[in-house]
Amino acid sequence: MADNNRVDQKRRLGTSAVKAILLTLPILLLTGLMVTGGQPIPKEAIRLIPLAVTYLFINSIFFLLIYSGRISRYRTILFVTYAACFILTFTTNLIETRGSMILTQENMVKGETPFCPMVIPMVIIPAALTKTIIFPGSMASIGSILVAWLGVTIALGRGWCSWGCFFGGMDEGFSKIARQPVIRNINRKWTYLSFAVLLVIVLTSAATLSPTYCEWLCPFKAVTEFEEITSAKVVVQTVIFFSLFTGLVVVMPILTKRRTQCGLFCPMGAFQSLTNKLNVFDVRVDTNKCTQCNLCVKSCPVFALDEESVRKGRARVTCSKCGKCIEVCPRGAISFHIKGTDVGGNGRTAQLMFIYPAFLLLAIMGSGMISGAIYRVLLLITTGSILK
Amino acid sequence: MDFVKGLMLGLASGAVCAAYCGPVLIPYLLSRGGNILNNLLTILYFMAGRLAGYLLFAVLAWAAGMAAAASIKSEKAVFGVIYIVLAGAMIFYGFKRAGGDCAVKRAGFLCSTTFPAVLGFLTGLNLCPPFLLAFTEAARMGVLWRSMLFFAAFFVGTSVYILPLAILGLGRRIEALRYVGRLAAGVMGVFYLYLGILSLKGA
Repeated sequence: MADNNRVDQKRRLGTSAVKAILLTLPILLLTGLMVTGGQPIPKEAIRLIPLAVTYLFINSIFFLLIYSGRISRYRTILFVTYAACFILTFTTNLIETRGSMILTQENMVKGETPFCPMVIPMVIIPAALTKTIIFPGSMASIGSILVAWLGVTIALGRGWCSWGCFFGGMDEGFSKIARQPVIRNINRKWTYLSFAVLLVIVLTSAATLSPTYCEWLCPFKAVTEFEEITSAKVVVQTVIFFSLFTGLVVVMPILTKRRTQCGLFCPMGAFQSLTNKLNVFDVRVDTNKCTQCNLCVKSCPVFALDEESVRKGRARVTCSKCGKCIEVCPRGAISFHIKGTDVGGNGRTAQLMFIYPAFLLLAIMGSGMISGAIYRVLLLITTGSILK
Repeated sequence: MDFVKGLMLGLASGAVCAAYCGPVLIPYLLSRGGNILNNLLTILYFMAGRLAGYLLFAVLAWAAGMAAAASIKSEKAVFGVIYIVLAGAMIFYGFKRAGGDCAVKRAGFLCSTTFPAVLGFLTGLNLCPPFLLAFTEAARMGVLWRSMLFFAAFFVGTSVYILPLAILGLGRRIEALRYVGRLAAGVMGVFYLYLGILSLKGA
């Protein structure tokens, strides 16, 4: 029975090996350019091996994704790897350039704080009112992140959260640990919490002229950089960061098998949901094929499907386009969709048109982090130190 | 002259005032889901509470004079307690509200007319930068009615920036906004709780 299901799914979503190879060719070319950064291929093994492994890994993932049609499964492997490698690469780079993961007042004054996309919703109102950016980064890094964010938003909308975000793979990774969820039902009203957090940080940032999410609520401070402990206030902030990380990124994803940080708390995700209208892709349910088994509702990692949205034939605005619902639907009733076209009529075309830019984004974001992490591991093995 | 000075100060710094009151008022208005007229009424209740807070400070400013103004600035404990009371009200409203129009039916004082006034009063007692300016100016006056007139004019000036929030009533048909507003009130309460505890600790 399980084999039959697998064959059905393959017939429905996958493609032949030859076709999959042909579809992988553009990615082989583009990722080749990305991984080397347009530079000559390095001669030293310690530089060459990470690039080669990353290149092979990314392209194998793309081939398998196209061949099997299991978008979510293979995206998850790359996405989680990218997040894990991000922590290693980012923190070791920080330690090399600044001496530690600790962010001092001096670093902030010098503008040595990496600008994170999470800051974007908080800087808009203060920038409009005071013509200043309330974040201690350089204008170059702020400008480049803003341009990159706009591009990703137009291309993928909230797809950023499943194909680009360097934090998203963390709670997704933990959500894959347990076989069955311990907590199955979460009250629908909590799915609005991320919007509430967004509203609060926008208002408080405007009132205090400081990025309040970074100061008080970001769980990822626990694994990236954190402020030097110089006062009781910083102690409280640090306790909050670690508690939120443990609760929302580790424990809750294990218990619910969902991405609780991304689906219930992240204000950047909520912001992406609001700007999702700029993007042409969405996920639609063909109500003629749907039997309302609600398998998609139970498996959506970011709580973007409920019975009502399935009846209406569209995912909620919080859909991160991860492809999980498409993969689990036994009737093939769910597909990526290009706004303004018929539902169900162009599923495969829409799928390919979405997957190319989405996968490229993941490859762009992930390749540097993955090759960087492999390099660090090789450095550790060969020199006994993870730092240069 | 005092009225004009207060009004000008209010108009000049009202945007900052609105930025300080917004985090309390906006989530509440969204959670109520009222139309523009209802929101206007709610804002009036809120502002009545805020005026009461201001006038209380006007009396204090008159009674204390400039020297005491400086000591009140350092009285972090008082403001810490005010923050904590405000936080308690907002957390209770945000996370405990089970349904219905009234915030918490069993706690009558938190019902629709009184609650915004309580929020306004507590917000009026917060030390935002424009408020400190007004307090310092009023403390120089030395006559009670002048001090109160100055604060009343300051209140009118800042209110110009708060009344337009009634426009949030345009989104009243979006049910999700009510959930968002209610949860935001709760999260905002937690934020004020931090501030209150830190204020108390620094006192």
